[in-house]
Amino acid sequence: MNSTIELLAPRYDIAWYPWAVQYFFMIAVSYASLWLAAPALVFGKQSWLPTARLALIACVSTTLVAPVALLADLHQPLRFWHFYAYANTHSWMSIGSVVLPLYLISVLGFAWLAWRPALQARQQAAGLNGLIAKWLSMGSGATPKALVALVGLAALMLSSGIMLYTGAELAIVKARPLWNTIWLPPMLVASGFIAAAGLILVLNRVSRICAPDATRQMLYVLLAFCALAGLIALSWLLDGLNAHVGSVAAALESVRFSPSWRSTALWGGLTGVALFASVVFLLTRSAQRQPALFAWAWLLGLVAIHMGWMFRWVVLMDVQHVARNSAGFHHYGIPAGSSGILGIVGTFGLWLAAILLIELFIPWRQAQQGSQLPGNDQAASRAPLTANKGAPSHG
Amino acid sequence: MDAVRRSLLGQLARLSAGAALVPLSSLAPASLAQAGINQQPARREGDPSKRYGMLIDLRQCIGCQACTVSCHIENAAPLGQFRTTVSQYEVHHQESGELATFMLPRLCNHCENPPCVPVCPVEATYQQQDGIVVVDSDRCVGCAYCVNACPYDARFINERTQTADKCTFCAHRLEAGLLPACVESCVGGARIIGDMRNPDSQISRLINEHRDALMVLQPEKNTLPQVFYLGMDERFTTRPVAEPVALEVLAPHGQEMGYEFHH
Ligand code: SF4
Ligand code: SF4
Ligand code: SF4
Repeated sequence: MNSTIELLAPRYDIAWYPWAVQYFFMIAVSYASLWLAAPALVFGKQSWLPTARLALIACVSTTLVAPVALLADLHQPLRFWHFYAYANTHSWMSIGSVVLPLYLISVLGFAWLAWRPALQARQQAAGLNGLIAKWLSMGSGATPKALVALVGLAALMLSSGIMLYTGAELAIVKARPLWNTIWLPPMLVASGFIAAAGLILVLNRVSRICAPDATRQMLYVLLAFCALAGLIALSWLLDGLNAHVGSVAAALESVRFSPSWRSTALWGGLTGVALFASVVFLLTRSAQRQPALFAWAWLLGLVAIHMGWMFRWVVLMDVQHVARNSAGFHHYGIPAGSSGILGIVGTFGLWLAAILLIELFIPWRQAQQGSQLPGNDQAASRAPLTANKGAPSHG
Repeated sequence: MDAVRRSLLGQLARLSAGAALVPLSSLAPASLAQAGINQQPARREGDPSKRYGMLIDLRQCIGCQACTVSCHIENAAPLGQFRTTVSQYEVHHQESGELATFMLPRLCNHCENPPCVPVCPVEATYQQQDGIVVVDSDRCVGCAYCVNACPYDARFINERTQTADKCTFCAHRLEAGLLPACVESCVGGARIIGDMRNPDSQISRLINEHRDALMVLQPEKNTLPQVFYLGMDERFTTRPVAEPVALEVLAPHGQEMGYEFHH
């Protein structure tokens, strides 16, 4: 075999900036937490209500921030209206640009319905809170459960469209063998659920709600989706292990020739296994020890968020460093400006602001699946809970 | 494994170059256009009676980069961004110790099945009926999807216009009856451009003559490139197993533009 040295190659910049990571992360947390809010708020499972309340604020805040990050990744953001003026059916991105606003509207509609009874109850409150509640709740009519369920179902359907398009958008890119696999879209979804469950664990802690049911349910969600992610990774590997070209071959080549890819692969694998093992550990402790241990579950939540975010960073940023036509890897230092660090910090800041605004003005802790009698919503929400006492919890 | 893989790809390269030529030699209009997701939209504008392509005779290329420079000037690309460039390799025979250099001019392949086109969310990038793939920079939103979708690094986001930029075979010069800047300036006469639907054009004659020896880049991607290489070593049709040389080429203001040989 000959050995080759590439003497001269231009420097190819990455085309998608960290904004793209932020978008893919936010939108995945958004659709996954919507599904975690669904058992209680769409299908009426009361035991999931504490989880659903946390999931809903996670969903709304990320749904609001995600499109901002997406817009920022355009090099000509002011031309975004071209997406609609020249919409077409052959580009996944164009399809996404139609699904995304519909999804956003459906999520906002769903959250408004779920928050409305509590807003109505607050109409008489003093000061700005009362004013905003009066204005936001739009009258004192009833909020039929069926309507909440219906809008929720529509949002769930549209969220499937988001899962599909964000995954397909990457998976069809033949130019990047690492993306070009059908196993990438399901992996994005699985890691999205891991991040969303992690976020709910953290929110459960920082909001001081500390609902033990929510913690247990999220640990089960983590368990299921870590296992699923492991299965997907294994299928991907076995599927391509013997191929000379394709996603797995490219991954093995990267791991073989690049120390940084080696450490990334190692880190990802180890964190995943450690997360899974810790969840199993927590869930198999005796009933007496669990409360004390569950108080620390939010730390696992942080690890889960890290997994979901890192996966997207590796997929979207690191893969762009693998040279396509020339030798080796392109090195890309994250710039300090708005296309780099500032962008990452900025989106997280915006997200925090969204959460704080909701916390300030919206009684999100009382979200529920509609109400028949405005003003009586507190009682209405409590009644089925009492009735459920003693019933087995399907965590 | 690499040896197996390479020779497999080499065979593909030949087969695929041949296959891509079939519709052209029979003058049949390209019929790849379909309506589904990620399929080719209909071509528009341009002369349907022509199909431009390029043949690069690597035996004539001396690696002078005159093409790189003239293209850069003709198309006013920002410093460090290139519509065409010539990759240079040093090949070292491990047994005999012999050294050889290999030059590989690269540009947009104006693929018959260009993956960069269907991905564009606003149809700003499109293929003309003469096969040339262009970008409408007034419509482009700079989403860079096409930059990621091209397997050949032929596209970039132009720093100045903040829109997608790429080789157009110098369509503006072709229209005026001139040759593209790179062809015009090629010292060795290595770059031959022409209408492949005209059986008497120089490119058609060369393609006929060398049909079996022609190769294209990354044939396994099924993009059907229309830049054909003569005198190609099949090991270079895909990303070379090469060690990049890490000394950076810097622009005057210190921005890194590329890598240069140092030993
Ligand atoms: S070489 Fe790249 S930019 Fe040119 S037509 Fe093919 S895919 Fe598109
Ligand atoms: S960068 Fe411009 S030409 Fe390329 S896909 Fe996006 S809008 Fe289309
Ligand atoms: S100008 Fe011609 S000879 Fe010089 S590098 Fe370009 S293709 Fe090769």
